Amino acid sequence: MMPLSAYLIMSAILFSIGVVGVLIRRNPLIIFMSIELMLNAVNLSFVAVSSKLDSADGQMFVFLVLTVAAAEVVVGLGIIVSIFRTRRNIDVDEMNTLRG
Amino acid sequence: MTATQLAFFVLAVASTASALGVIIFKNAVHCALSLILTFLFLALFYLQLGALFIAIVQVLIYAGAIMVLFLFVVTMLASETDETELRDHIPWQRWVASILGVVLVGVLSYLLFTGTPVGGSAVTTGANSLSHVVNTQGNTQAFGLALFHGFAFPFEVTSLLIVVAILGAMVLGRKA
Amino acid sequence: MTNLSVLVLLMPLLGFVILGLSGRFLPRGAILTIAWGACGLAFFFALISFISMLGTPAANRTADQVLYTWIVSGNFQVSFGQLFDPLSAVMLMIVTGVGFIIHIYSAGYMEHDDGFWRFFCYLNFFIFAMVLLVSADNFLFLLIGWGLVGLASFLLIGFWYHRPAAVAAAQKALVINIIGDFGLMLAIFLIFLNYGVLNYVTNSNSAAGVFNLIKPGSVGSGVSIAIALLLFVACAAKSAQLPLYMWLPDAMEGPTPVSALIHAATMVTAGVYLVARAHPLFELAPISLDIIAAIGGVTALFAATIALFQLDIKRVLAYSTISQLGYMFMAEGAHNYTAGIFHLTTHAYFKALLFLGAGAVIHALSGEQDMRQMGGLRKRLPITFWTFLIAALAISGIPPFAGFWSKDDILGSLLSQATTGNSALFYILWAIGVITAGLTAFYMFRLVFGIFFGGYRGTGYAKRSEEDEDEEDEEDAQHTAGNRLSIHEAPAVMTIPLIILGVLSVIGGLVGSFSLFGDPRYQPLANFLAPLFSDVGAINLAPTIGIGWISTGLSIVAALLGIFVAWRLYGKGFAYKESKNPLYQLLFHKYYVDEALAFVIINPIRWFGGTATSLLEGGTLDGGSRGIAWAFKKLSLGLRRLQSGYVRNYALAILVGVLLIIIYYAVRG
Repeated sequence: MMPLSAYLIMSAILFSIGVVGVLIRRNPLIIFMSIELMLNAVNLSFVAVSSKLDSADGQMFVFLVLTVAAAEVVVGLGIIVSIFRTRRNIDVDEMNTLRG
Repeated sequence: MTATQLAFFVLAVASTASALGVIIFKNAVHCALSLILTFLFLALFYLQLGALFIAIVQVLIYAGAIMVLFLFVVTMLASETDETELRDHIPWQRWVASILGVVLVGVLSYLLFTGTPVGGSAVTTGANSLSHVVNTQGNTQAFGLALFHGFAFPFEVTSLLIVVAILGAMVLGRKA
Repeated sequence: MTNLSVLVLLMPLLGFVILGLSGRFLPRGAILTIAWGACGLAFFFALISFISMLGTPAANRTADQVLYTWIVSGNFQVSFGQLFDPLSAVMLMIVTGVGFIIHIYSAGYMEHDDGFWRFFCYLNFFIFAMVLLVSADNFLFLLIGWGLVGLASFLLIGFWYHRPAAVAAAQKALVINIIGDFGLMLAIFLIFLNYGVLNYVTNSNSAAGVFNLIKPGSVGSGVSIAIALLLFVACAAKSAQLPLYMWLPDAMEGPTPVSALIHAATMVTAGVYLVARAHPLFELAPISLDIIAAIGGVTALFAATIALFQLDIKRVLAYSTISQLGYMFMAEGAHNYTAGIFHLTTHAYFKALLFLGAGAVIHALSGEQDMRQMGGLRKRLPITFWTFLIAALAISGIPPFAGFWSKDDILGSLLSQATTGNSALFYILWAIGVITAGLTAFYMFRLVFGIFFGGYRGTGYAKRSEEDEDEEDEEDAQHTAGNRLSIHEAPAVMTIPLIILGVLSVIGGLVGSFSLFGDPRYQPLANFLAPLFSDVGAINLAPTIGIGWISTGLSIVAALLGIFVAWRLYGKGFAYKESKNPLYQLLFHKYYVDEALAFVIINPIRWFGGTATSLLEGGTLDGGSRGIAWAFKKLSLGLRRLQSGYVRNYALAILVGVLLIIIYYAVRG
């Protein structure tokens, strides 16, 4: 078994990659994928801590996060599709009418 | 270097590479495939940590259902996504974001190494500890026992959440 | 002794108030009744008081009457009161008498003016202020009177306020007079500091006046010199001596009766009166009297040289006034205050007469004041001519006219001061006096020949001097028939005052000191004023007979010489040629004093004011408020860039916030 901190650092790296992905991609689908990556990084840290603490609670949280992520993906993709229907392009930068 | 450590390092490098691939590839389909790969590597992480049920569920739900959904939408919108990466209105954001991402990793690692260590002994011991239940009754039973004994209410709320999501999808999917 | 000086003070005040409030609505007759009544009654009461004073023995001729106690602070009291003694009696007679004559004259001169009621209102105010000044019994009351006559002068010089030249002249007079007021105030402060009281002599409210407290050596010599010189600053401003004389020629912008009353006979003599009144203070610092005499002498010569070549008849008379005031100060500087007051009285007669005569000429010519446009008026204006001639002879110092006695008195005391005191200064001053007498005779007769002799040079179209283009007033309308001017003598209301003053100019000198003969019986005025000046050493009051004859003879010779030269040059009329001689140009342009002042003082002040305005108001205040607005605008423009509209930027902002929180916890430990 690796020490806990290794898994946690792994989780931090994956999380940061997800954050950078949200910030630098302009395709909303890829932004979404980056968000999923962030959620999975958190899942990894949950499972690692649950294994370390020898308790099932961490895995419960993973289960709930999974479900919520699924629901979120459903709704989010529905929104993106409906935006595409009205605007015919899906560049996030093009949606800047709320500028000051 | 034991087998566990070796496996861990390989998995670490591989999952990092595929995660980077998610954010780097120009083609959205490539990104999706990269993400699927990342999920698989994460499932292998869970296996290593002994959470078998979660590993399988990860592959089934994430890679199997959610990413399929993603790929549907990606291919549906594929024709419009070709030109999206050409005009970048805020080119400086790329660099700032990368630097800040590195800073984030650094700070989090710092916190990990200087924070109070997680309790060295198991929270639950004896008959209630996970490893005991797993060893006596098996992995799935352990998961099910924990879910329906401690987390029954969140479970029911989650089902409500799913119903709401379905309704939302139906509303969003209607013709204007 | 009947002391009616309170009534003398109140009559003009009543006239002023009534005319001020209701004069606008009253008919001419009512205005004249009130104005003439006020001044006439003032003169009448002054006359009664004077006669009664003549009846009282010499020792009892001082009466100090307190009217109202104003300030009471511990031991210090200031009250409004009137001092009635020989000096103030003389001054009151002059002020109200000549004032009354000029009131009568003004009825004719200002007849066509729309501001008729305003003129008489201001005139009554002036009489009130002047009576206040000469009858005050303490320095504070004097200061009030001093300021009020300055105000009256301002109002009357700027009487025709539509004319910018008149307004400018009024402002100039006021500003220069304020310098004098400042000197007077400083002197009063010093007097109060050193003597503790402000009233002249003992009265019912205070045990001792300033003049009772004066003992030689009681105050430091520097302080007494300072007091004397500061008082003289006030006198120099009010009596137009160097270097504060510039306002008087410009004051000729006012109506001619104003010039006659205020700037010839009464107000400008306030300085001479003050020196005579406060002579104990001056005697305490003898060097100040030397300075006063020197300034008087230089001013007399200076003004006479300017008057030689002026073309405006009123300007010539103005400079002549400055010159004669210089004579009065020379006399007082020689410790002979009686001679100064005597010359004050005779000067009032003939100078007022000269101005009123000039006014009659101007009135006949419908406003013409330039000598080049006159000539040959002897036949048309006979009364004016003869009275003007009498006045010119008087001012030139030809016996037996009034001016001869007083001028001779002055020159005699200068010479005796020079010989007995062996003082080079007074020799020089005496010589200046004689030379100036010659110059005076010359320019006065230049004026006489220029106006009344030769052929008429006028174009028949009367216009005022070049710098005035406004169309204002009065006198023209009924005097021009078609385009031809009909020149005729002034109406009786104007000529009778001329005749009265002419008579006074002839006999007025007889009350003076017959110092020629050295006989005390024939010195009524000196004897009358003697108790007042008893503390002045009798050294220089009457020169020895031999010296006196030298001075008299030389002055008569100088005057005759001046008249002769004028007759040779201008006897056949005044043919004006402007000479290119630089000395002539210097004198003609009045030594360029006004231009120099504008360059040295006025322009820097204007520049400073303009720069300060633009810097402080434009730059700091306006700029500050605009700067604040600019800063806010820039700030908001900067903050606006945060709302770029890009979701990714907002996400970046969220990340930055999260990082900050994490770093905070990492640092905090």
